[in-house]
Amino acid sequence: MTTDRELMHRVAQKDEQAFAELANRYSARLLTMAWRLLGNRADAEDAVQRALLRLYLSAGSYRSEWAVSTWLYRVATNVCVDEIRRRRSRSSLQKAVHEEAGDGQGLLFPWGGGAAPGPAQNLDLHRALARVPLEARILLALRYVDGLSYQELARVRGISVNTVKSQLARGKMILRSALTDRRRRPRTAVRIGKGAGE
Amino acid sequence: MTTRTFSTHDELENSLIVHFRPVPAATDLVRRTLDGLRDDFRPERFAERVQVEATERGISMLSPGGQARPPASQASKRLAAKAREELFEYLEGRRSFFSVPVDFSGMPAFQRKVLERTYRIPFGETRSYARIAQEIGNPRAVRAVGTALGRNPIPIIVPCHRVLRSDGGLGGYGLGLPMKTRLLGLERSTPVLEGCATTGIVCRVGCPDAMRMREDSRVVFASVDDARSVGYRPCKVCRPSDATLS
Repeated sequence: MTTDRELMHRVAQKDEQAFAELANRYSARLLTMAWRLLGNRADAEDAVQRALLRLYLSAGSYRSEWAVSTWLYRVATNVCVDEIRRRRSRSSLQKAVHEEAGDGQGLLFPWGGGAAPGPAQNLDLHRALARVPLEARILLALRYVDGLSYQELARVRGISVNTVKSQLARGKMILRSALTDRRRRPRTAVRIGKGAGE
Repeated sequence: MTTRTFSTHDELENSLIVHFRPVPAATDLVRRTLDGLRDDFRPERFAERVQVEATERGISMLSPGGQARPPASQASKRLAAKAREELFEYLEGRRSFFSVPVDFSGMPAFQRKVLERTYRIPFGETRSYARIAQEIGNPRAVRAVGTALGRNPIPIIVPCHRVLRSDGGLGGYGLGLPMKTRLLGLERSTPVLEGCATTGIVCRVGCPDAMRMREDSRVVFASVDDARSVGYRPCKVCRPSDATLS
């Protein structure tokens, strides 16, 4: 099988077949990562396309000391993160409108609208993930979609290995406490008085 | 009653693995991406033939062709050259703001108000004609706002392409609707904040200091706070925290 690096060098020479092969190798993992970060398939596909396009156009500046996967994840997370920034500025506008109208949509669906998290997904986990700060959430996604090592994660986000470790630990701690909270207090139950469910 | 720990280490680990299990991508995803490449629009071409006029106070005219009057002074010549350079970077997706000043002084009062308001719409965002009308204190003048924007002498730098109809429709555009769509698409795919992995500094895209950044050092952030959370500090030249407050 052709290695990623060989394909990448062919992509730099505008070889579309090599590009298609490389893209096919990573599309499922990139799509999943983007989907979990952005919350819906349409936006995720859009982000993956943009990332792949970037890969094709800037293949010339690829340097072989990078693992292709690391480089590709860097490009893809960059695209997703900017999409999230755009949404935040949009949702701060929307929230203002909703608050005026008196409904709390923005608070219930922090990922923006009632976007479905995907088929047969763990809704509790999805909600808990929304509480994890963005940078930690990205690291979790990369770590669990493709099992990237701490070193690779550090390279993808341009941070130190120690920051990766502390962010992952913090992310999991928030998840654990959010999930524990939720199970003690079922969503459907109305809390009366203090200490319900303890 | 003892407190039970519901999410054990393994339980969380397993649900994360399930949650992030790769789903197959659509088979035509790659083909669609390649179709995007066939697009023959090259913003650089636009930047090459664009004419810019400036006064000593700022840019006063930008037009995609035709003739510009010769600059009145060295200062205005420098400003026009700088504007052309920034325009080129913007169209290439390497700049999210213009640092050249704009000279609104030659305009009728109403148009000036409209354009000054439009000038403050942040990169990548949009407003409706109705909202601009409201913000300049003339909520009924929606059509007049459209006309004033249609005659915008400094398109792109004064971002009248960021003004849309309230129903989300494109409305009009002096440089043609296809160009409006391109510009909105361009802003959708250009990040606003990027950090340099080697220096640990986060800048606005287009900061003169960030221009030297190597391609493989670029990390995009969604906010200055996010960047801070993983140890980056904001640049002192372009001051990204001020910019994201708007």
